[in-house]
Amino acid sequence: MHRLPLLALAGALVLSACDSTEADEVVDLEAQVATDVEADPTTGRDPNTGAPIANDLFTLYDLDAGEIVLSSSETDASVRAADSTGTAWDIGFRGTTIIFNGGTSGPGQGAAQLLTEAFPDVTEAPASGYVADGANTACPAVETPGGTFPGAPYALCTGDENGWYDYDPSQNLITPIPGRTIVLTTGDGDYAKVRILSYYQGNPTPPNPTAPSRYYTFEYVVQPDGSRDFLSTTAE
Amino acid sequence: MRPALLATLLALGAPAVAGQTVRGQVTDAETEAPVIGATVRAADRGAAADAEGAYLLALSEAGEVVLRVTAVGYEPTDRTVTVARGDTLRLDLALAPREIRTDRVVVTATRTVKALEDVAVPTTVVDAETIRQQGAVRLGDVLETVPGLQLFDDHGGGVQVQGFSSDYTLVLLDGEPVIGRMAGTLDVDRLTVSGVERVEVVEGPSSSLYGSEALAGVVNLVTARPAPGTVAGGLRLRAGSYGQTDATAEAALGRDRWAASAFVNRFGSEGYDLTPDAFGPTVPSFTDWTADLRAQAEVGAAQLSLGARLAAQEQSGGFAGIEDGAEVRYDDDASRVDWSLHPELSVPLGDRVRLTTTLYGARYATETRYRRQADGSLYYSDDFDQRYAKVEAQLDALWSPHHLTVVGAGAIGERLAGDRYAAGDAGDAPSAQQVYAFAQHEWAPSRLLEVNASARFDAHSDYAARLTPKLSALVRPSDAVRVRASVGSGFKAPAFRQLYLAFTNAAAGYSVFGSTRLAEGVAELEAQGQLVQVFLDPSALGAIEAESSVAFNAGVAVDLSAALTVEAGAFWNEVSDLIETQPVAQKTNGQSVFGYFNLDRITTRGLDAQVTARPLGGVELVGSYQFLQARDRAIVDALASGTVFGRDLDGRDARLGVGDYGGLFGRSPHAATLRATLTRGSASASLRGRWRSRYGYRDLDGNQIANRDDEFVAGYAVLDLTLTQSWATPAGRLQAQAGADNLLDVTRSTLVPSLPGRTLFASLGLSF
Repeated sequence: MHRLPLLALAGALVLSACDSTEADEVVDLEAQVATDVEADPTTGRDPNTGAPIANDLFTLYDLDAGEIVLSSSETDASVRAADSTGTAWDIGFRGTTIIFNGGTSGPGQGAAQLLTEAFPDVTEAPASGYVADGANTACPAVETPGGTFPGAPYALCTGDENGWYDYDPSQNLITPIPGRTIVLTTGDGDYAKVRILSYYQGNPTPPNPTAPSRYYTFEYVVQPDGSRDFLSTTAE
Repeated sequence: MRPALLATLLALGAPAVAGQTVRGQVTDAETEAPVIGATVRAADRGAAADAEGAYLLALSEAGEVVLRVTAVGYEPTDRTVTVARGDTLRLDLALAPREIRTDRVVVTATRTVKALEDVAVPTTVVDAETIRQQGAVRLGDVLETVPGLQLFDDHGGGVQVQGFSSDYTLVLLDGEPVIGRMAGTLDVDRLTVSGVERVEVVEGPSSSLYGSEALAGVVNLVTARPAPGTVAGGLRLRAGSYGQTDATAEAALGRDRWAASAFVNRFGSEGYDLTPDAFGPTVPSFTDWTADLRAQAEVGAAQLSLGARLAAQEQSGGFAGIEDGAEVRYDDDASRVDWSLHPELSVPLGDRVRLTTTLYGARYATETRYRRQADGSLYYSDDFDQRYAKVEAQLDALWSPHHLTVVGAGAIGERLAGDRYAAGDAGDAPSAQQVYAFAQHEWAPSRLLEVNASARFDAHSDYAARLTPKLSALVRPSDAVRVRASVGSGFKAPAFRQLYLAFTNAAAGYSVFGSTRLAEGVAELEAQGQLVQVFLDPSALGAIEAESSVAFNAGVAVDLSAALTVEAGAFWNEVSDLIETQPVAQKTNGQSVFGYFNLDRITTRGLDAQVTARPLGGVELVGSYQFLQARDRAIVDALASGTVFGRDLDGRDARLGVGDYGGLFGRSPHAATLRATLTRGSASASLRGRWRSRYGYRDLDGNQIANRDDEFVAGYAVLDLTLTQSWATPAGRLQAQAGADNLLDVTRSTLVPSLPGRTLFASLGLSF
């Protein structure tokens, strides 16, 4: 019986020798780091209400290409309409809110879930459990002056401790909760995992609450071949 | 109660039927002075020696009987005598003084006078002699050296007992509470130690006797009572680094039927700055005045006493804020006035019962003003005014030498006025009324065993009544070994701020509301359009509850020899319904609205050990160590479930276990103290060292616990030295003292503002 693998290997070699296409290469996936991605940084405070002044717009990021597709500083409505309706972007940031290209946030296949697992230990994306923006019923209910909503509509719940961050009022500090890894499907349906490293410009260590905020530094791995494996990809 | 009183209560009436008796006098074997209050016991009968040392013991049976004679401070003596039926035997007894200094009495542990070694709960006493030798001037200086206590800064110098923050320790002056906890902390540096006879510290829940706030322990300052024939006075002046001065003038007068003592104290400092780069002192300059009067009088069989205190403090400092990128400087002035009045009447009702009625009134008021330095305009002002009135009656009944019952009842009224406190529904200042009753029974069937059971019932105007029980026992297998154990409940009622606060911090922008003001506060902010979103509906919340605990304390004390005592103890506190702030809504300026909720469950437990040695005459060494674990139970559960991670400085996440938890902020797992005192004639030297291991103080990696090295304050040790010399002069006794605090010059500038580096002082006192 142990001759069968040997026979198969011999057959494959023969076949591959006859085939004109190249063999599949297995390449390790490296984690990428995006630094200082602006997420609608504030430019001051309204002297009357004390509310922070910002554009109130999302920055959209493409994980496959590793670049910003649409920045929050782009206020031209027609440019925004053009760039936000494609499937190029995968993840969006505005203040502490994170969205994905799917559901009510975009036209793509983006959906996400939050795992309590160290980033390097997430070696494979789960098969199920993803929710798209607007379809998450598990977030804590929110009451606003305009009415009661059953929960933040986002896949990654908003609010202190509900999603990716912890807010410490005594230090006025926002820190990403360690051990929380975001696993998502990109706009094109590929799998990716993201870990937020810092909310402040320059990723100061230890975190510095006086540094300019709303500048994300995050680490991510995208699996371009469509499989759920995060360790290696088969390039063609 | 004075020993003579105890003797009066213990003495039996004349025997109803003529029978055999033993009578005589009990004296000190060395000085031949009468031993007042000595107890002579024979099986089921007992008698006590009166003011002349005379006793009369009626025996139930004739024949051979073993008499056991005990007295506080003396070695117990057994005598076997034979008494014929109907006979009266004359027997004089001489007692040898006990070598170990256990003649200290405490009143706080059981609300009655007991010898320190006879209490079943962990109690420490610091007497006036020790206070003088250490050169302590404020209560904080005294508590620093008590094993198992930690001092820390939080709106003033607070004291931590068994890992609990200072909100949970009751501070008493002659048994009545010191009021004035704006943020929960009672600043122990507010109280001078002038006129103090001893400081008693009882650890473990004492709510069954003292009610709310005695969840972690009780600190009682007992003032000195001049003995008859005293005509004394004193003047003391002390000066030290940072412009620290302390001046006291005191006088005491004692007569047969009355006594009075008074003092005036002025304590001040120029303040100091541990961060010279930032504008504003770390500790501002201040002047603190205290005037105190204590008087006692005997009117017939009744005893009247009066305590009155007036204190005032002025403080001025500065700080800088950033406005539009530029630094703006402010002057920060605060003043405080507080007074208390404490009349008490104690009347014997028959031979066995004593009734004590107490009235207590106190007021505490502070004013804070921030003014912009540039133009003197008022930027912020805050007033706080708390009034407290209490009436209490306590009955002590000594049925027999084996049974002592104490029952008491009282009522308390409190009123609070302050800028941060919203008026009630009727528009008047927040107020609360409370009635309570407590009972305690002490059963001492023999010298081997003492059992104490107590319970207190509290009914408050703002939340449900509660019953708080406690049971403790002391076992003495031999004269040199004492084993104590206690289990009890403690509670802490929600503080005024947790009920009535309605405050917005103008500088930072957040708002905090007490539980009774939360719904209307949030509605008002919403109507003003200041809210972005509300996280939970305040009107759907239930009423806030008192924080409560169940605690176990156990310990063993062994006198290995006349010169060496070893003590070891363990404690375990389970606390539920701790009140913490939690955000309720988010404001348009990005800040939160906070409310007070019963959120947390914490556990504090630990071990402590203490060794007291007197190797040579005049040398005393006391060393202690405490292991403390103070943890939030919800966090321990989360860590045990493996869902909590830590992130190191390189960005690596690692799963944390229960062992990685640094405990509640501000609690050191290990602490040790060492005290060495050397006395030679009229000179003495006192060296005190205290060490605490590192403690967590902030969370930087987003998991809400201290687990990384940079989330801890490094441990440190502080060494204090005081040298004293006194001479007899024609004018009186002259005492000179010089010392250095923090010899090792340890500072943790932003983290421990109360540690200013090495401080030197010198003082001169005259007592006549």
